Amino acid sequence: MSALLEVRDLSIAIAGAERPLVDHVSFDVAAGETLCIVGESGCGKSLTALALMGLLSDPPLRRIGGTARFRDRDLFTMPPRELRGLRGGEMAMIFQEPMTSLNPALTVGDQIAEAVRTHRACSPAEARDRALEMLRRVRIPAPEKRLEEHPHALSGGMRQRAMIAMALANDPALLIADEPTTALDVTVQAQVLDLMVSLQRESGAGMILITHDLGVVAGLADRVAVMYAGRVVETGPVAAIFDDPQHPYTLGLIRSIPALSGERRRLVTVPGTVPTPATMPEGCRFAPRCPFAGTDCRAAPPLAEIAPGHRVACHRAPIEEKAA
Amino acid sequence: MLAFLARRVLVAIPTVVLISMLVFGLQHLLPGDPILVMAGEERDPEVIALLREKYRMDDPIPVQYLAWIGNALTGDLGTSLRTQQPVLELIGEKLPVTLQLALMALVVAVCIGIPAGVISAYRKGTWVDWLANLVALSGLSVPNFWLGIMLILLVSVRLGWLPASGYAPFSDDPLRSIQVMAMPAVVLGTGLAATLMRHTRSAMLGVLRADYVRTARAKGLSERRVVIRHALRNALVPVVTVTTILFGELLAGAVLTEQIFTIPGFGKLVVDAVFNRDYAVVQGIVLCTGVAFVAMNILSDALYRVLNPRMGEVA
Ligand SMILES: Nc1ncnc2c1ncn2[C@@H]1O[C@H](COP(=O)(O)OP(=O)(O)OP(=O)(O)O)[C@@H](O)[C@H]1O
Ligand code: SF4
Ligand SMILES: [Mg+2]
Repeated sequence: MSALLEVRDLSIAIAGAERPLVDHVSFDVAAGETLCIVGESGCGKSLTALALMGLLSDPPLRRIGGTARFRDRDLFTMPPRELRGLRGGEMAMIFQEPMTSLNPALTVGDQIAEAVRTHRACSPAEARDRALEMLRRVRIPAPEKRLEEHPHALSGGMRQRAMIAMALANDPALLIADEPTTALDVTVQAQVLDLMVSLQRESGAGMILITHDLGVVAGLADRVAVMYAGRVVETGPVAAIFDDPQHPYTLGLIRSIPALSGERRRLVTVPGTVPTPATMPEGCRFAPRCPFAGTDCRAAPPLAEIAPGHRVACHRAPIEEKAA
Repeated sequence: MLAFLARRVLVAIPTVVLISMLVFGLQHLLPGDPILVMAGEERDPEVIALLREKYRMDDPIPVQYLAWIGNALTGDLGTSLRTQQPVLELIGEKLPVTLQLALMALVVAVCIGIPAGVISAYRKGTWVDWLANLVALSGLSVPNFWLGIMLILLVSVRLGWLPASGYAPFSDDPLRSIQVMAMPAVVLGTGLAATLMRHTRSAMLGVLRADYVRTARAKGLSERRVVIRHALRNALVPVVTVTTILFGELLAGAVLTEQIFTIPGFGKLVVDAVFNRDYAVVQGIVLCTGVAFVAMNILSDALYRVLNPRMGEVA
């Protein structure tokens, strides 16, 4: 399995701050595969995604280290022009905030057509046709009419569908979806997500899906990366994560899903809260909340491979062997 | 939109009536008698009596007001006490001159102020931003008359590039007209350029942080397109509104600038009329200016609605 995207040791910090907000994050995405990134609010999921797209607001946010290879090209060292060629073309992103992510002054059709024309040599009429086709594919009612409308005339769910249409208009090889439904009304969340995933599968694009929702992870992910306080603490195939979780944080998350009830819950049920930057411990960042913490945890645990493709950053892993 | 305009015009009517009353009332409180001015050196009592009757000077002021406003509504602002020309004709003659100056100044201001605001917002915190702010601050604090005199000395007297005076109407000789107006337009435009720059800068700073600007970048657009089509397009909404309001100020400034460059525009008309106690002309001018201000305000609100589709729904 050749990796579509290979991220190694990505670190991001605010200019002048001591500790990075994202710290040595590594993961892979294979072609056509779905990687879910999960973790509590503020653990650095969005920053990671934005860094890959080259969209960190700079300053104050800076990428301070790491590499990201996309189709064997380094995203972080390529000239800005080349990166622009990828953005919105081979690599597209859907944002967390549907209400504010579309330009209020331009029609929905113009905004989608613009994405098309940026990456293909085609006439305005062809771009418009493509925009209309995309609006049909995301099942927006009365697409001809919506094409001419400004975003304020659309509901949140419709706007996110329009964003999905825009992101998929150029058949990207990698789609980054940052909590695409969190801001939407609960009644339309599942619809919009299902739509996005079915279009992504149709197109064969690889996807990074950032989510709070472990039910979504269990249903859609091929692989999972669990983030805690700016670090990846566990990553592996979805089956390994759910059936054989190794990191105490992952364990806590999974225990917090009500078994068999089918109800989707947010990640709020691990006892304790994330330390603030000022109180962040030196070694394992989970130590203050970890039932298994010991003196050795004052040293940061490396992300070690305990089974093929399954990596854990904990001194106690793998759990069974230590217990035996 | 039509309903909105109709409502705004209706609301404006009492304002205009009030302006007209003030204009009329204040004028009559001024010391000095225009009839005496007109009657000339001899002050022949017969001539004076005749003139007083002709201009209905002996009617009570409210009656005079009603007669005046009634005529004004039919487009008759009276005739100049001095030159016997209809006031409307006088205004029609001089207004285009001042309007040309104001429009040229506006072009100068927009061409300097908006790009400078965009660049300094985009390069916020760099020396470019710092320099633009410094220049804008100087532009705001330098008095127009000083800048005008300095420009005349440098450009006309030292370098001989542009004529310092000798106005020609645009319709007669457009090139000369623009040449003569160039310096006054620059003088008048700099202050507005500085104001526009600061408004543009602050609007752009907000807009550049917007999520949709990030979306525009995520599409792979060039920075140029992101800044101009996505950011500036939205930042211009408040800037255009401010500009229409400031245009009134610009006209007032034009009246002063005309004096420095001896341009025979509205400014000269006003000054002459006031010094000669030419009631009809002064009243006519102030009434027209007041109405124009009210109209500019309505226009500015209307433009805001056109530029900002979100507002369109509410109306
Ligand atoms: N522009 C910024 N300036 C300063 N700090 C920032 C900025 N953006 C994010 N952060 C901080 O970086 C950390 C990670 O933010 P990020 O947005 O990546 O979190 P997240 O995992 O996406 O959370 P959520 O689930 O709430 O979206 C947070 O603690 C946040 O406060
Ligand atoms: S390293 Fe120690 S503190 Fe960190 S998760 Fe493992 S056991 Fe807990
Ligand atoms: Mg986020």
